Amino acid sequence: MPALPLSRICYVEDDEDIQRIVRLSLERIGKMSVDVIADPAEAIERMIAFKPDLVILDWMMPRVDGPTLCRKMRERPETRDLPVVFITAKASPRELDELRALGAAGTISKPFSPKDLPDQLRTIWNALPAQRA
Amino acid sequence: MNPIAAATEAVRPSARADSAVTPEPRLLVADRAAQLYSQLPVGLAASVAIIVVAVYALRYSSHGWVVYGWAGMALAITAARAGLWWGFQRSANTGQARRWMRRLAIGALANGTIWGVLASMFFGLTGEHEQLFILLVLAGVMVGGISMYAASWPMYALYGAPIALPFTYGLATHEEHLLQAVAVLVPMFYAVSVGVAYRLNQLFLSGFRSQHAYRKLNAEYTALNQRLAQQLEELSVARSQVEASGRKLALFVERSPIAVFELDPQGRALHVNPAAENIFGYGENELSGRVIAEYLFPPERRLEVAVRWKAMLHTRQPAMLLRQRTRRRDGNEIVCEWSLTPLVNSEGRVISVIAQGRDITQQLEAERLKQEFTSTLSHELRTPLTSVIGALQLVNSGVVGAPDAETLELTAIAERNSQRLLELINDLLDLEKIESGKLPVELQVMPLDELVREALVLNRAYGDRFKVCFEVTGELLPARVRVDRRRVLQVMTNLLSNAAKFSPEGAVVEVSMLDQGAQVRVGVHDRGPGIPASFHARIFSRFAQADMSLTRQKGGTGLGLAICKRLLELMGGRIGFSERAGGGTTFWFELPKQA
Repeated sequence: MPALPLSRICYVEDDEDIQRIVRLSLERIGKMSVDVIADPAEAIERMIAFKPDLVILDWMMPRVDGPTLCRKMRERPETRDLPVVFITAKASPRELDELRALGAAGTISKPFSPKDLPDQLRTIWNALPAQRA
Repeated sequence: MNPIAAATEAVRPSARADSAVTPEPRLLVADRAAQLYSQLPVGLAASVAIIVVAVYALRYSSHGWVVYGWAGMALAITAARAGLWWGFQRSANTGQARRWMRRLAIGALANGTIWGVLASMFFGLTGEHEQLFILLVLAGVMVGGISMYAASWPMYALYGAPIALPFTYGLATHEEHLLQAVAVLVPMFYAVSVGVAYRLNQLFLSGFRSQHAYRKLNAEYTALNQRLAQQLEELSVARSQVEASGRKLALFVERSPIAVFELDPQGRALHVNPAAENIFGYGENELSGRVIAEYLFPPERRLEVAVRWKAMLHTRQPAMLLRQRTRRRDGNEIVCEWSLTPLVNSEGRVISVIAQGRDITQQLEAERLKQEFTSTLSHELRTPLTSVIGALQLVNSGVVGAPDAETLELTAIAERNSQRLLELINDLLDLEKIESGKLPVELQVMPLDELVREALVLNRAYGDRFKVCFEVTGELLPARVRVDRRRVLQVMTNLLSNAAKFSPEGAVVEVSMLDQGAQVRVGVHDRGPGIPASFHARIFSRFAQADMSLTRQKGGTGLGLAICKRLLELMGGRIGFSERAGGGTTFWFELPKQA
């Protein structure tokens, strides 16, 4: 279990409605600081600037999708070790295999409950090995 | 053997001698009787004539009254024999021929007796002319009898004996030695006559036999002819039937929307139907006599086709539903479903092969579109629902400020119904995946009791909502089953939530496990209203809910049991239900146990 509680999160998502809901959920219910990133192209720079504990990526986005962005993060030393959680609408076996290959910390399936989202993320956070945080 | 029996049985020795051409004795006897009776009128007329002449010749002899007495007796006997003839003419039954022969033999004996009595008068007469007259008459009737009774020599012997014996006796005892010498000649004369009759008899017999053999041959020939005619008739009917069914078959093939080829065992086209011409773009004249595989299949597919072809020829069994990419004349590729049916003759040799091809390109495209649609639907519906449900949950949880009670009530309705919509989408997608064989099941061997316990924990909150409590009865068995954990939990959740929904408030839903030998059974027992009998048959089909008003009250999509049934089938199990004693229903499922 990481030494510190989960408090800073970067969320990459193109859908503005969901962005708003997640932000409300994490800020109001989870009492966390959230940086919502709408454009994946500037995601990595924003992450480096924000220094999150954990990153949430939407699986399906136009231009650059979640897995591609995740691979890019792994190439940069600043973001290489950030735990990544994917939000996905369909968990097909192929996707699950890919997630494992990417070393994702966990998945949240759509539709998720904003009430439970902070707890779900904390469960994933607490399950992480201590040295990664 | 007595003479009468001999007369009727005379045919027997010769019947033994030559059985091959001898007809049945009964028929032969009937022929002989008919022959003898047909001659009787001539004999009768001759008898009457001789009697009349004799009376006229002897009327002035030494004892005239004796002559008249004899004539009376003779006419009476003749009349009796005429009666016999009349009787025979009227009887049509040839089966009684032996009886008529016996009667005729008695008649012959009586007839002979007439002339025997006349002969005995010879010795009482004094006039030599009258004696000479009697001698001539006697000689005449002896000789005439031969032709009369030629068809039966014993009958002739019976006829001749009463003439010859008393006469011979009279002659032998006469004092005149000239007449004594004649006494030696008379029996000899009698014997010769019988001998001649016997010879004639044999001739008649062989004549009758030939006649019968001929008749029999003729009858057989006629029967054979009739049979031949009948067979010809049947053959002609069969031919027209074959022609009719041939025309029907040809019509089916001509009008069929499926491509039909008749191929020889080397795969060369013998016949190509119009549908095949349309589908593949080749005319019959282009393919006729050619190996069609070289035209229809791309080179890289030909080996596989050849292997299938050989296997079909070898087993002589139809090869069904071979899906193959097939090339049209214009170079476009289509996908066809092929079936090959060998036509095997009675010696087990393949004469030809019927190849049928159905163009399923459009069908496959439709299936692909449907899958794509389902997948898109899955994503496109879930994304907005995520926003809707999320927004409503945030409002209802009060984190964005406390709305007034009425607003809260309305947003709660909106959230609940959004959840229902989501459940429906999820269920529909599940069902769709199962039915198209796309649902991934990850089978692992695990103890079923742990899954049951996990399901109970997961669904406790749901039970609380309906104020229903889940309880284990008996012991949960640590039986190992090969299942997909998520899918078993899905089934359990479905059964438990159904039970909770349909139970009265405060009720207990019991969960049990039962060892069934090779299977292990999990039962969920509720105290609900039970399932109406009219609903039993379709309880596991889509959108099956006995009471739709309850759906609106308590939720549920009507797809749950249909999904459970298919999920269990995917894992080698089955589902069922039974009415519970004391009210309520038991839903159960069984899974095969693993060692």
